[in-house]
Amino acid sequence: MSERSNELTDLVGEEHAATGHDYAAGFVTEIDTDTLPPGLDEDVVRAISAKKAEPAWMTEWRLDAFRRWQEMPTPRWAHVQFPDIDFQGISYFSAPKGDAPKSLDEVDPELLRTYEKLGIPLHERARLAGVEAEDEEAPQVAVDAVFDSVSVATTFKERLAEAGVVFCSMSEAIQEHPELVRKYLGSVVPKPDNFYAALNSAVFSDGSFVYVPKNTRCPMELSTYFRINAENTGQFERTLIIADEGAYVSYLEGCTAPMRDDNQLHAAVVELVALEDAEIKYSTVQNWYPGDAEGNGGIYNFVTKRGTCLGDRSKISWTQVETGSAITWKYPSVMLRGADSVGEFYSVALTRNFQQADTGTKMTHIGPRTKSTIVSKGISAGRSQNSYRGRVRMNPGAKGARNYTQCDSLLIGDTCGAHTFPYIESKLSTAVVEHEATTSKVSDEQLFLCQQRGIDPEKAVAMIVNGFCRDVFRTLPMEFAVEAAKLLEVSLEGAVG
Amino acid sequence: MAGLALNGASLAEKLLARGPTSYAPWLDRRPHLDLIEQRALPELRAEAWRHTNIARWYETVLAGTERATRSRRVEFPGEVEVVDFADPRAAELLVLRGEEIFRLDAQPIAALNGMLLGSGVAIRVPAGTVPSPVRIVDLPAAYQRILVIVEPDARVELIEEPSSYTHRLVEAVVQPGGRLLHRRLQAASPDRECSLVAVRVQANAHYELSQLSLGGDLRRNDIVATLAGNAANVTLRGAWRLVESQHLDNQVAVHHDAPGGTSRQTFRGVADGRSRAVLNGRIEIAPGAQQSDATLNTKNLLASDTAEVYAKPELEIYANDVKCSHGATIGAIDEDAVHYFRTRGIDAPTARSLFVRGFLREAIDDVETARRLGVIQ
Amino acid sequence: MSLLRVEELHVEVDGKPILAGIDLEVDAGEVHAVMGPNGSGKSTFANVLAGRPGYDVVRGSMRVDGEDVTELAPEERSLRGLFLAFQYPIEIPGVSNMEFLKAAVDAHALGRGEDPPSAIDFVRHAREAASRLELNPDFLKRGVNDGFSGGEKKRNEILQMLILEPRLAVLDETDSGLDIDALQVVANGINAFRGDGNAVVLVTHYQRLLNYVVPDHVHVLADGRIVHSGDRSLALELEERGYGWLGA
Repeated sequence: MSERSNELTDLVGEEHAATGHDYAAGFVTEIDTDTLPPGLDEDVVRAISAKKAEPAWMTEWRLDAFRRWQEMPTPRWAHVQFPDIDFQGISYFSAPKGDAPKSLDEVDPELLRTYEKLGIPLHERARLAGVEAEDEEAPQVAVDAVFDSVSVATTFKERLAEAGVVFCSMSEAIQEHPELVRKYLGSVVPKPDNFYAALNSAVFSDGSFVYVPKNTRCPMELSTYFRINAENTGQFERTLIIADEGAYVSYLEGCTAPMRDDNQLHAAVVELVALEDAEIKYSTVQNWYPGDAEGNGGIYNFVTKRGTCLGDRSKISWTQVETGSAITWKYPSVMLRGADSVGEFYSVALTRNFQQADTGTKMTHIGPRTKSTIVSKGISAGRSQNSYRGRVRMNPGAKGARNYTQCDSLLIGDTCGAHTFPYIESKLSTAVVEHEATTSKVSDEQLFLCQQRGIDPEKAVAMIVNGFCRDVFRTLPMEFAVEAAKLLEVSLEGAVG
Repeated sequence: MAGLALNGASLAEKLLARGPTSYAPWLDRRPHLDLIEQRALPELRAEAWRHTNIARWYETVLAGTERATRSRRVEFPGEVEVVDFADPRAAELLVLRGEEIFRLDAQPIAALNGMLLGSGVAIRVPAGTVPSPVRIVDLPAAYQRILVIVEPDARVELIEEPSSYTHRLVEAVVQPGGRLLHRRLQAASPDRECSLVAVRVQANAHYELSQLSLGGDLRRNDIVATLAGNAANVTLRGAWRLVESQHLDNQVAVHHDAPGGTSRQTFRGVADGRSRAVLNGRIEIAPGAQQSDATLNTKNLLASDTAEVYAKPELEIYANDVKCSHGATIGAIDEDAVHYFRTRGIDAPTARSLFVRGFLREAIDDVETARRLGVIQ
Repeated sequence: MSLLRVEELHVEVDGKPILAGIDLEVDAGEVHAVMGPNGSGKSTFANVLAGRPGYDVVRGSMRVDGEDVTELAPEERSLRGLFLAFQYPIEIPGVSNMEFLKAAVDAHALGRGEDPPSAIDFVRHAREAASRLELNPDFLKRGVNDGFSGGEKKRNEILQMLILEPRLAVLDETDSGLDIDALQVVANGINAFRGDGNAVVLVTHYQRLLNYVVPDHVHVLADGRIVHSGDRSLALELEERGYGWLGA
């Protein structure tokens, strides 16, 4: 290895990294909670259901999922390593004490302060952090804030209701919109889909629910902010978004957790349903606590996200920026059923220290002339392992379907790994699948050019990495793109100490 | 075979009851038997067998199709040493081969080759020689082994003519500065055949594979090439054409274990009828294998709506100063190109056949042989 | 005090000696041409001035405005006004020219203890400089050197020079690969840059650029040493007679 590469390794090397100051969201909120003791059996599942006063059908649904989960082996196929999880050592429910607030005024001020500190406004005057207040043109964002197991606040509900848009917590949806929940819950990700989805189906505690009626363009961006606070608690949220015929919605998801030495499990399920001519854009900036420089602690982010383009000409677009979590294991996918439907997946995954990411997508082409695009950018540094895993399948009915996939990896230092595992499957002659992958590093020459022009190496690396991710960032809503670029910079910058 | 599909464990049980073959008694069969006893044979849904029903091959293994009537036919020039695997001299050559060329636990079905071996040859190409080609025309038994040692600075061409087997193991080591051009010709076959080619390429040595395949009832080729020495070079080319319900599964792995290596992989395949074509092409760069340069390119034509193609190009990279890329496509015959041909007076079937030929030729270095075999028309 | 003072400079690359004792003084307001056959060490000289990693100074020193810069990092030299126009400009896909230049301009402003220019002022300034080099404004939005033609890359180097306004510009074979029109545009850029407060070192194999940018001094480099120095007429003589007569 050249001396130069050594320097580069030092720049993002683990010795300077994540001692805490670079993970701004790592604080703990002191708040009284109502927490179930660790452990999982049918009684716990019933207890969760009872706490939420759920109807009998919902309790039965959960119990069925729990029984199936018990039959399933722990999956081990991903390119990640971690000790066995003790599912009896986790608490499956933790909520701030007291009755659910009826309005924003009733929300515990400590919680409001927590979200303020994270840059998430839970009052309806301000916008997302980073958007200047005087800029009247800045789009407003409605927020659903999920704190440990429950939704603590949802903003702009009235304004959304005027447009006919339902945006509420999943608990509320089960009570208020049982017909929609019963019809679509588990329709995209069935209970026994996989080990963690089955677990989620049994114990999910809250999450967001969105319904956008026919021919309605949701008047603002919707956003859920997930926060894990309690110790030894898993977060199992469930999100369901339905865009009825001709509807459009853009949904943003953010997440953080305090720094703790133990690993915590986050096993969410997200289901998207797009009917005829509907479009759902789902963006994630994932910044769960990644663990410290030695690889202690951090979130296990084992998430099942899937959308189904049920109607003709519908479109589902996933964008994710993954910088956090000790282990990320997720494949936001699209089932392309409707004719001419479109699926997209844009991803940036940055790993450093001892982080591991195994992420990608599945595009399943079922309807004729369906189209999918996959752009994945992986950046590995430190001793991390970063894998793209994807599957593109052309089923026999997908006449004239097309897929294009571009997977690029960027390596920083020589102690990390970058991997690509694409599965490409076609069963009909008129479909076209194209896949390309490349691997490169931040070159010494690029760094020297930047330095010669006066830019210090740390900024230069951040700039080059940002350039590498450009194709993905430009698919994010403006405020999120700025946040994502900053987050990436902080993740690389923090590493310099 | 009626009833339950045969799985690895039940096959192992039945074979162990029968015991190993007595061919080449000097061969240490313990590792093979151990592996089989440990029930390490792949089960039906093993990842490496996603698209090939291994139970169908296990049936053939169990049925035991010895071909006692055939004879050993190997053509070779005088300066090359060729001995039968039964000959104790083969044991000496096995020692000369040096370290293990592949990991048995990563290729568990090769244990069956060890247990059931019925014929084989060991070939040594002496240092510095450039002999005329060595041709494997046929080997007698169902389980066959070919060992090739290309000594330093020797150059040779090894040709596997079409012949049938249940499992064939080809092991080769190309010692520093040596070159091996390996031609594999696989004709259409009603049989179920598996083979493993394992090659270790030492410093500044070259290994080049040119594999032309027609389909089989079940044909599976595992290819493992390791760039073990500095600045080693590996070129792999494969072309195939499948019709009716033929099945071809190529599992290729290139390991860059030393710095400065170059590997190039080019595969082109056409699947027609109800056939199934599989290519899993893996590039692995080990820690420290800096300045590695590796590419894989596979293109597939689906000529019918009942054929299936599965491609899985993989990169696994543990060094940063490397150039790696892969590309994979699956698509149809370009009808615009066919139309263009037709405007020049060429009828549609001829146009399509010209198109297919041009497509496959990107992975073929010997057009005459490809034509003789029927891979191109 | 000289703007640039190089003394007894010995440089090795991969342990191989390339420069074997270079002495050179450049004063403000001057243009020096450093010429020599292939392999004479011209490019090494240009790169070592800018502090390129892999070029090891084993003896001697380089001073800018009296300050020893021999041990300084490349970006520190840049902030002290040393600019290198690369012989082979590097591509940085995804990073736009504008973004790259703004980062550089900001770093220089902060280095001087000033506030970085506003985005509007910067864009206006960058556009002006681009038009002076006959570059389309869209050029600034494209990735740094990504997919540029050879001529565009060279013009981009000059553009960066005009915007960063260095004290000392070292141009490494900036004339190579340019057609006559592009050469003239580049030369106009250099001439517009020349002034009493700065200096230019042109590293070149041929003298054709010197028809447009007239040097005050010409040096001939051979086997890692300056074997001959003179005025402009030396360059013309080299064109006529080649390098052989100098024993180079």
